[in-house]
Amino acid sequence: MTNEPHSEFSSVGKSLARPDVAAKATGAARFSADIALPGMLIGRILTSPHAHARIVAIDTSRAKALPGVAAVITHADVPKRGFTRSVMAEGLPPFAYETENLDQYILSDKARYIGDWVAAVAAVDLYVAERALDLIEVEYEVLPAVFDPEDALAPGAPVVHKGWKDNVAGVIEHPFNRGDLDAALASSAHVAEFSGRNSRQKQAHMEPDAAIASWDDKGRLTVWSPSQNAHLAKKAMGRRVFDIGEGNVRWITPAVGGGFGARLSFGVEPVAAMLAKVTGRPVKVLVTREEDFNGWNSRTEQRQTIRVGVGEAGEITAIEQDVLSDSGAYFSHSGTISAVNMQSTLGVMRSPVVRGKALMVYTNNPTASGMRGYGNPEGSFILQQALDIAAEKCGMDPVDFRLKNARGPGEPSMWEPQAITTCALPECIRRGAVAIGWDQKWHGWGAGKEGRYRRGVGMSIMTHASGAGGFLLEHSTAVMKLDEDGTASLSVSPCEMGQGILGVLAQIAAEGAGLRYEDVRTVTGDTDVTLFDIGTHASRSTYAIGNAALDAARKVKAIVVERAARMLGVESEGLDVRDGRVFAVADSSVGVSVAEVAHAGIYEYGTDARHIMATGKHQSVMHCPNFQAGFAEIEVDVETGVIKVLKLVIAHDIGRAINPLTVEGCLEGGAAQGLGYALTEDLVIDKGTGKVVSDSFATYKMLSALDMPEVEVILVEEPDPTGPFGAKGVGETGITNVAPAIANALYDAAGVRVHSLPITPEKVLEALRAHGAGA
Amino acid sequence: MAKEIATFIVNGQGYEVIVEPHMLLIDVLRDSIGLVGTKYGCGAGDCGACTVLLEGKPVFACLTLAVTARDRSLTTIEGLADGAGLHPIQQAFVDAGAVQCGFCTPGMVLTTKALLDENPEPTRGEIKAFLAGNLCRCTGYVKIVEAVESAAGILRNGGAR
Repeated sequence: MTNEPHSEFSSVGKSLARPDVAAKATGAARFSADIALPGMLIGRILTSPHAHARIVAIDTSRAKALPGVAAVITHADVPKRGFTRSVMAEGLPPFAYETENLDQYILSDKARYIGDWVAAVAAVDLYVAERALDLIEVEYEVLPAVFDPEDALAPGAPVVHKGWKDNVAGVIEHPFNRGDLDAALASSAHVAEFSGRNSRQKQAHMEPDAAIASWDDKGRLTVWSPSQNAHLAKKAMGRRVFDIGEGNVRWITPAVGGGFGARLSFGVEPVAAMLAKVTGRPVKVLVTREEDFNGWNSRTEQRQTIRVGVGEAGEITAIEQDVLSDSGAYFSHSGTISAVNMQSTLGVMRSPVVRGKALMVYTNNPTASGMRGYGNPEGSFILQQALDIAAEKCGMDPVDFRLKNARGPGEPSMWEPQAITTCALPECIRRGAVAIGWDQKWHGWGAGKEGRYRRGVGMSIMTHASGAGGFLLEHSTAVMKLDEDGTASLSVSPCEMGQGILGVLAQIAAEGAGLRYEDVRTVTGDTDVTLFDIGTHASRSTYAIGNAALDAARKVKAIVVERAARMLGVESEGLDVRDGRVFAVADSSVGVSVAEVAHAGIYEYGTDARHIMATGKHQSVMHCPNFQAGFAEIEVDVETGVIKVLKLVIAHDIGRAINPLTVEGCLEGGAAQGLGYALTEDLVIDKGTGKVVSDSFATYKMLSALDMPEVEVILVEEPDPTGPFGAKGVGETGITNVAPAIANALYDAAGVRVHSLPITPEKVLEALRAHGAGA
Repeated sequence: MAKEIATFIVNGQGYEVIVEPHMLLIDVLRDSIGLVGTKYGCGAGDCGACTVLLEGKPVFACLTLAVTARDRSLTTIEGLADGAGLHPIQQAFVDAGAVQCGFCTPGMVLTTKALLDENPEPTRGEIKAFLAGNLCRCTGYVKIVEAVESAAGILRNGGAR
């Protein structure tokens, strides 16, 4: 690896083992489905076989009569309160929340996609619950359905939601539109245009959804589920689903088996809560993989056109982006993801004129939501190809074209009007280009490659937020307390869903307080213990929660120093703390352990007792954008259309890698998801029925170990003054550049572009035939 | 169908369980015996999260009828380590950064055990091929393959690093 440990630090910059992984390797970690409460029932949900149908009648009598069945509920039994599946929306300001559609009910009297929830049962075990589902008799009135967002806009199309005049779920103008687009494009030397669409990639967290709900005798609800933002989920459950108030909801987040954005939405928690309320017993609702594929989460399919105007000197003069989003049956994240698509996708390039517009449309497809990258992989697939087309029109190398036109320090960030503080993108581009061998392998536009197997290289660049500071609700609080033995608890509220945030926050807090890493316990996962936080999304946790943890740690350190000075009889100014020991900088033999200071504070029989603790806060005014360059080398077989990826390079502007091994793993995993997004992963929906055809891991092709090419991760460290020890976000970013880099490499190899994801061999062959090349 | 009392030998310990003919091994392990380290990921044998060792060979507990495993030796993730510490394979996964969310890890570790029992010195290609039935959504497999290589070396060296 390229990153040496930073000797000035004890914990930061080191690849220390995460605190949660040993338990995961032994099977001791407890995920939601692993938890059993006394008296607990198992819940299952009956789903609709029709894409659009009114529920005329439901006969639950046979199911209820089955021994072991405690309850069967339908739409008649649930509150008539609409909510949005997007729990993340609770963090929006009121003006923005008003544009969210509260179109979801715990159970509805109308099915809007195949897989929509019709009824639910609670029974003594899974087998009885399954039998009960079979005994529920539903009479449907099947309605005409619509599965294509363009068809859904046509006059006379079936309307998905009652009371709506059409299927337009929302319209968003790019918040940072500026300038006269038509004039700018008319006066540009060249205009490059690219249109295309992405697939509905599944988050496909390996842990299927599960939720346990239990009400106590005072009417307080406790939920156990894999939420990425438990405090917002608590609010949504207490304020929207039920009208009981936030204080009457406690949310516990056990180990989480992957999230990738899916768990920014409600899973089955509302159904679990309803079943638990009706039965008066704890209920665990379980979900099958097939139901997940037919369900309530996927990347949103977006059909887009991007036009880029370029001046004589190769400078971008204007960018236009047009987005059509297929929301599916319920609104969920489709508004926010469309806005973030435009902001992040276009936010990497300098352009005096910008016009973006997104239209969100209801269909009878499964509900789409947000997935890792949250609009950025959708938009970048289009923009980064348009940029290559623009570079070709100018006769410029794609590397040079991007170096010339990418935003840099002092310029507006993706969330204007904030300015970019640090930007290592040029260094990412240069080092990435060397790693892929750009100068040796890219031979100019129209290099005219021959033969059956043709190699090509391609690139892509991106920016992404480190949280939404300065734009949306963005604050975090950390509480750190020292126990008598000098170890510390750090109470924070990220979601540890595999990315390693518990270890990263412990490293930051240990460094900040002068403790040993192994002496800091990260406590999380219970809203009764942790303070409000918007949770883990937008690649924010290291940056935003890390800053809060660092603030708490530094305050703890200051208290320790002050009390140690009194114990030692010296001035506090000359003391420092490192690795659990307070010492005089001038003479390190003078000192006392943090354990002694902490113990003396608690077991103090005079008047100066104190359990040393501090609250740290991060109120973000900045989202500290990170940057990245991605490169791909591929070989395409022009007789079969099969693309073989030879190598991927991801060069990321990380600011500071708090834990290099964790950051590498994050980027490698992101790259693997990006590769699946590029080439194989496709939620295929039958155009005639709306049925998800690829509803298993056998038919929805995620990459296996056998499919992975070499991935080289380069961490470029230019510490940002606003990040904890200079760190920026990384979580979502590894996925974004892969598909556009491969698409651009395909053009370099074979002179063709494919306009939809995934880039399958069939589409490559079709493009080659249209181009008059290949077999 | 008739219920019966069957004996399952899991991690060297016998358990008597009331089973029905249609019950799956994963449900017996998780719900009847309470060993929840075995994970349900797909119910179709596609993801490998439920992998356990049946007489040393990896099987998908989600596709195995429980009655076919009675009186036979089963190893789950809880039974891999000898004592409270980590088995060298588990330690290698931790050290290499091969565990992210950890949901695939029990199956991945047990599949690795089966591989290394059968082939103590696998090539990188053999590792990838053997693990191809175990899906991981987090890591991109880079560090998992490194962990298996590392574990193989440690085990060939008698467990010492």
